[in-house]
Amino acid sequence: MSELYRDVGVVLRTYKLRESDRIVVIMTEQNGKVRAVAKGVRKTRSKFGARLEPMSHVRLLLHRGRELDIVNQAESVETLAPLLSSLDRASQGMAAIEAVDQLGLEREPNPRLYRMAVGVLRTIAARPAALNVPAFYWKLLSAEGLEPQLDACVRCGETEPDVQLVSIDLNEGGVMCRACRSGGPISAAALAIMRDIFDGRLNQALALEESPATHEVGALATRALEHHIERRLKAVAMFERH
Amino acid sequence: MASVYTPPVQTLIDELGRLPGIGPKSAQRIAFHLLKVPADDANRLALAISEAKDKVRFCERCFNVSDAELCGFCSDDRRDSSVICVVEEARDIVSIERTGEFRGRYHVLLGSMSPLEGIGPEQLKIRELLSRLGPEGVEEVIVCTNPNTEGEVTAMYLARALKPLGLTVTRIASGLPVGGDLEYADELTLGRALEGRRPID
Ligand SMILES: [Zn+2]
Ligand SMILES: [Zn+2]
Repeated sequence: MSELYRDVGVVLRTYKLRESDRIVVIMTEQNGKVRAVAKGVRKTRSKFGARLEPMSHVRLLLHRGRELDIVNQAESVETLAPLLSSLDRASQGMAAIEAVDQLGLEREPNPRLYRMAVGVLRTIAARPAALNVPAFYWKLLSAEGLEPQLDACVRCGETEPDVQLVSIDLNEGGVMCRACRSGGPISAAALAIMRDIFDGRLNQALALEESPATHEVGALATRALEHHIERRLKAVAMFERH
Repeated sequence: MASVYTPPVQTLIDELGRLPGIGPKSAQRIAFHLLKVPADDANRLALAISEAKDKVRFCERCFNVSDAELCGFCSDDRRDSSVICVVEEARDIVSIERTGEFRGRYHVLLGSMSPLEGIGPEQLKIRELLSRLGPEGVEEVIVCTNPNTEGEVTAMYLARALKPLGLTVTRIASGLPVGGDLEYADELTLGRALEGRRPID
């Protein structure tokens, strides 16, 4: 079982292997999540250079193996430099690819997830907006079929202004009024931002400066995604504290 | 899988296999090599390991490996204490010393920030670095972390922490390896090399 194949992908993680090799985890367009060995990549004079660092968008020639593939060639589709130009961009980029790594399945094609990864990294490279990562997490959940209902109480069906929608419970599928409430509280400002994200006004949400409401949307997004993948996200937590 | 070796041999293979860069096959090969060599040779290795573990510790100031409270660089008065070079691992000091270009002191972080593995600033010796700045009269910090994503993130984090304190924070220029071909340089490396260009005299 030895065959060469070409694909494009975003590097999600790397693990050291032996003296100078790495295992590279890549979200590809056609082949799902791929684990491949990059030989000699940690040497200063490696032919791969910085092309196989996390967040790199690369065009690859791979050799299929039984468990691990082998990277034969890698060229950049776009440069990594903007993502490493500021701490905010780098930390947002990391938080984004960690989520992609959690949701991508090995060797199970998911071109949509690949395209979302490329898209969010471009958005982050252009501007490290406060809601880049939360909006991306919500979009990922929605792609998984977990889009919360935000316009009416999921239990009694009442809408604003007849009732005030005050809580959100993803197990129940969305927001709830005061009488039906369960899950956690959500402020009116955060709910408005969530509607922007889901109702096609993403650019409006991304234009917002950091505020208590953007933090609330961020915390909700992280909690929702962690609940879905059933584990803690590391990158997003690290930079929330600083 | 049940072991096919007698317990002492299996233990040796297991222990060797835990070393970085040694896979199960190499561990087996080294183990059988050690069993073949004269007892004196094998014991010399065992003694070297236990002596190193006994006598070597981390320098209390810079976390370089040392056989005393302070390492050679920290206790040498001729070193310029106004400049600190920050590295990820003690072995990086050896590389920098070999250039003969640096006369300041060092600080070893004992790793780099790795958000994807949950390794943050608290797991590194960053607080210890900050506490050295005032007492030692540090004016410049040169950040010599590796030119990869983790090293860059660490460098940017340090710059954010240090600049408000009025220090000069510099980053080593990462450019093209001497002896490498331009054709094979990736865009990031080539871009950095262009940023760090200098006039030709
Ligand atoms: Zn209700
Ligand atoms: Zn020292």
